[in-house]
Amino acid sequence: MTKAKFKSFWDKFGTLSILVLMLVCLSIASPKYFLTADNFKQIGLQSTVYILLAFGEFFAILLAGIDLSVGSVAALVGMFIAMMLKAGVPIPLAILAGLLIALVFGAVNGILINALDLHPFVVTLGTNTIFRGITLVVSNGSPVYGLPKAFKDMSGYVFGFPIPLLFALIMAVVLILFTTRSVAARNLYALGGNKQSAWYSGINTKHYTLFAHMLASLLAGVAGIIMTSRVGAAEPTAGDGYETFAIASCIIGGTSFFGGKGKIFGVLLGGLTIGTITNGLNILNVSSYYQKIVMGALIIGSVALEKVIGNSVKNS
Amino acid sequence: MEYLVEMKNMTMKFPGVVALDKVSFNLKPGEVHILLGENGAGKSTLVKMLSGINKPTEGEIIIGGKSYSHLTPKDSVENKIAIIYQELSVVNELSIAENLYVGKLPYKKIAGMKIMNRKYINEQAKKYMDEIGIKRSPNTLVQDISISEKQQVEIAKALAADAKIIIMDEPTSSLSIEETEELFQIIEKLKKNGIGIIYISHKLKEIKQVGDRVTVLKDGAYVETRDVADIEVDDLIPMMVGRKIKASHLGNEAEIEKNNEVIFSVKNLTRKDGTARNISFDVRKGEILGFAGLIGAGRSECMEGIFGAKPISSGEIFLHGKPIKIKDTYHALKKGIAMVTENRRETGFFQNFEIWREISVTMNLKKSRLAGFSGLVHDKDEKKMAEEQVGRLNTKCSGINQMTVNLSGGNQQKVIIGKWLAVNSDVFIFDEPTKGIDVGAKSEIYDIMRGMADDGKAIVMVSSEMPELLSTCDRIIVFRNGEISGVLTNNEATGEATEETIMRAAVAVD
Repeated sequence: MTKAKFKSFWDKFGTLSILVLMLVCLSIASPKYFLTADNFKQIGLQSTVYILLAFGEFFAILLAGIDLSVGSVAALVGMFIAMMLKAGVPIPLAILAGLLIALVFGAVNGILINALDLHPFVVTLGTNTIFRGITLVVSNGSPVYGLPKAFKDMSGYVFGFPIPLLFALIMAVVLILFTTRSVAARNLYALGGNKQSAWYSGINTKHYTLFAHMLASLLAGVAGIIMTSRVGAAEPTAGDGYETFAIASCIIGGTSFFGGKGKIFGVLLGGLTIGTITNGLNILNVSSYYQKIVMGALIIGSVALEKVIGNSVKNS
Repeated sequence: MEYLVEMKNMTMKFPGVVALDKVSFNLKPGEVHILLGENGAGKSTLVKMLSGINKPTEGEIIIGGKSYSHLTPKDSVENKIAIIYQELSVVNELSIAENLYVGKLPYKKIAGMKIMNRKYINEQAKKYMDEIGIKRSPNTLVQDISISEKQQVEIAKALAADAKIIIMDEPTSSLSIEETEELFQIIEKLKKNGIGIIYISHKLKEIKQVGDRVTVLKDGAYVETRDVADIEVDDLIPMMVGRKIKASHLGNEAEIEKNNEVIFSVKNLTRKDGTARNISFDVRKGEILGFAGLIGAGRSECMEGIFGAKPISSGEIFLHGKPIKIKDTYHALKKGIAMVTENRRETGFFQNFEIWREISVTMNLKKSRLAGFSGLVHDKDEKKMAEEQVGRLNTKCSGINQMTVNLSGGNQQKVIIGKWLAVNSDVFIFDEPTKGIDVGAKSEIYDIMRGMADDGKAIVMVSSEMPELLSTCDRIIVFRNGEISGVLTNNEATGEATEETIMRAAVAVD
């Protein structure tokens, strides 16, 4: 295989290769516990929240920006829904209201970015803390539990398949169709590639920036609902630091930090990779302190690998 | 008489272009030697050889009795050459005194550490500031003073460096009349001290006010050096321009006016930031309307305002006689107005798109109802449209799957034009359409524009190259300082449009 051919192979199957390699290694390391149907279900479940947060993050990164507030939005939406459910609001209504709130938070991010012409990093760094603060204020710092059984059952199994994972896969299909088939997504790619060119080609860059951040928050809200349903309670500190997992999933999934490049399918694989590592390290009894180190190394390693491959093609 | 500096047969070649061709120039102590020429004549290229930025391909520089093939920035400083650019290079966060000594602050050593000797530099700075007449404390931060004062600080800095040669690049471009007067008085003082000044300017009337000698450059070549006392300002314009251009379309205006209706009109348009004011013009069907002027005269700014890319404070736009509102570029696109921008890389194409995706961006927006938020892409139709545009414009590429960024400048331009042809726009605004494009591709672009005009589109062309305006346009509007200063055609009333008449309207003669 020539270097150029390897590059194009890596562009297509790089993330998949990392995932497969990881599965093989962990299977060899712990065939008894890792390589079981139950454990794979567990991986799927664990990955779901990462995947959904990463889907949202994807749209922020696609515009050469970032959204650091996804973890807080998930927690806040989860908290609001839990409180509504406790107050007797019907489940569908509570979910709808929760998603609406998520959209509002996304709009706050987008409007601030547009109005102040600030980098999304700065804005979402601030709103991340603000949203987390609101969660603590409304919950008075304590978890809300004792949620209706029907709500908890939403994260159960159907024909032995975890519902959250099924939902994430359906979302993946919807978003793949959206990113490849819709004019709106094509415009997001254009905007991510070159903001000024987009503006001079008739794309209203501010509207699309707002749109991308609302989409990011909406998906974070969905993640928050699933997170709350799985745990059966809303923790005010839930999802703290999850933006790292979301960003890592996008990067491992091949989304370019410079904007305009990336695929939802890659992000899905990236999210599964993160879930697999977390699960594998747990099974191998690696302390959660070391897990953080491994996770960080993997983020840098996967990007470095891509860079090395890219450069070796250029130089040959 | 001894010259401060003599430059002989200076030549500067870039791949494919001769930026400067055997230009000679000298400067006497105590004189102001004006360097005159239109945009791209080679003035900056020449003075950058003195500051050590440009390394000449050929030529000799004699300075202080020594001969150099080229100067390094260090040679330049050692030979007491100071340059004051249009974009002033003072450090806003430092005081006036510190600015005078940037990079070479006098210090004293206390316990082995270098400590700035503030008292000493303030005293020294005060001396130079008094000489020029800066009525400020040396401790004043530069960010708190006006632009003309900042310029005076630069001159003081040159004095502090004991400069014998001071180069001023369009020093009055952002000064008021009073400030200009002040600058001229300072220049008088500098002359008395035996300092030689190289003065670059477009403003012809300043030549008589401040100059002793003037050297004219044109297209990188030396034209003439004259004593200012012996010339009339009017004599200089033909020296700056005067190429023989076949104005092949400029006679057609009467014909167009008779037969073709007005497609597009702009009435009293003023940009919010004031860079273009009270602009009115009509474009007829099949007409190429040129916009001439010096760089920074407000032509691009005006077009950005029309296209909805930058905010306007007032003005009306009519398409086919009906008033239209253009709030942003999306509205412009929807109404059938296209703009091909000056900087392809920054505002033209998408680095991450293939040719077919590039071309289909506008098409998808036009079809969509909600500013592009609704609607689906149809790869097959888009590729077909891209093939059509690529073929029609004779774009050289390996196929529509090639990335736009990997094409040559001329072919990138064709892809961008194709992007707007794909939505069948009625009005095309071209801003410097041949910038950075090789000669062969240039003539293709002219042909494309003429072809589009013949198809009944209204074409607007902004260009800083007078020859291409004269050879391509039916009528030329000239901008000066944010306003329209002339309209040129070849009819009997206005006489013949030439580079000379354009230049007269573009620069402030009186």
